[in-house]
Amino acid sequence: MPERTVTIASRTGLHARPAAIFVKAAAEQSVPVRIRVGDGSPVPAASMLAVLSLGAGHGTEVILDADGPGADDALDALVTLLARDLDAEEAADA
Amino acid sequence: MPELLDRAAVRLDAKAIGRDDAIRQCGAALVGAGAVEPAYVDTMLERERSVSTYVGEGVAIPHGTLAGKDAVHHDAVSFVRFPDGVEWNGEQVVLCIGIAARGDGHVRLLSELAQILLDPEQARALRETNDIDEVVRLLQPAGEEVAE
Repeated sequence: MPERTVTIASRTGLHARPAAIFVKAAAEQSVPVRIRVGDGSPVPAASMLAVLSLGAGHGTEVILDADGPGADDALDALVTLLARDLDAEEAADA
Repeated sequence: MPELLDRAAVRLDAKAIGRDDAIRQCGAALVGAGAVEPAYVDTMLERERSVSTYVGEGVAIPHGTLAGKDAVHHDAVSFVRFPDGVEWNGEQVVLCIGIAARGDGHVRLLSELAQILLDPEQARALRETNDIDEVVRLLQPAGEEVAE
């Protein structure tokens, strides 16, 4: 199954705005994407509660996986998102 | 070390005229527990205008912005239930869990809350129980016993 490893770039971690952007993008992919931290169980990337449960802070390494047609494109799109500081794109949130 | 969830910060039968009113009540419960300065509540409203803290399943987890951290005395949560529901950007919220955390504590707090809410049994208990002590027990961080 295709996988990607990426480090959370957002300053405050994967919650609030960064999580909302990520979960929405995951839901829009053509294949279901899962996310995990280290050896933890993969959880649906399109579920806000599941993503929050990871407790991924700034600098945490997460692993995304997906299967089926379009999986690689989906993973690339989501990895690109997580590698950006999504907090910096909302000045009022800083 | 103060408890994460003070009994005084639990309300099981609140009513709100809307989202901002619900957030103010959640914030007021944190202020009442001595966890935050009143200024923190304004940053909770600011955060909500920037991005919804609705997490699904009728639950919202409002919390302040980074700028609000100076107004936090100690990590805490408040638990306010709205049996009639509150309109929340098109969603219905019945459970409002306010969060205050110093430093990076919010990530761990959100994670612990999310794990509790993902457990169907615990989530149902939080929605239905009329026992404040049960709420306090359910929201106790893993591995910490409630002081008797």
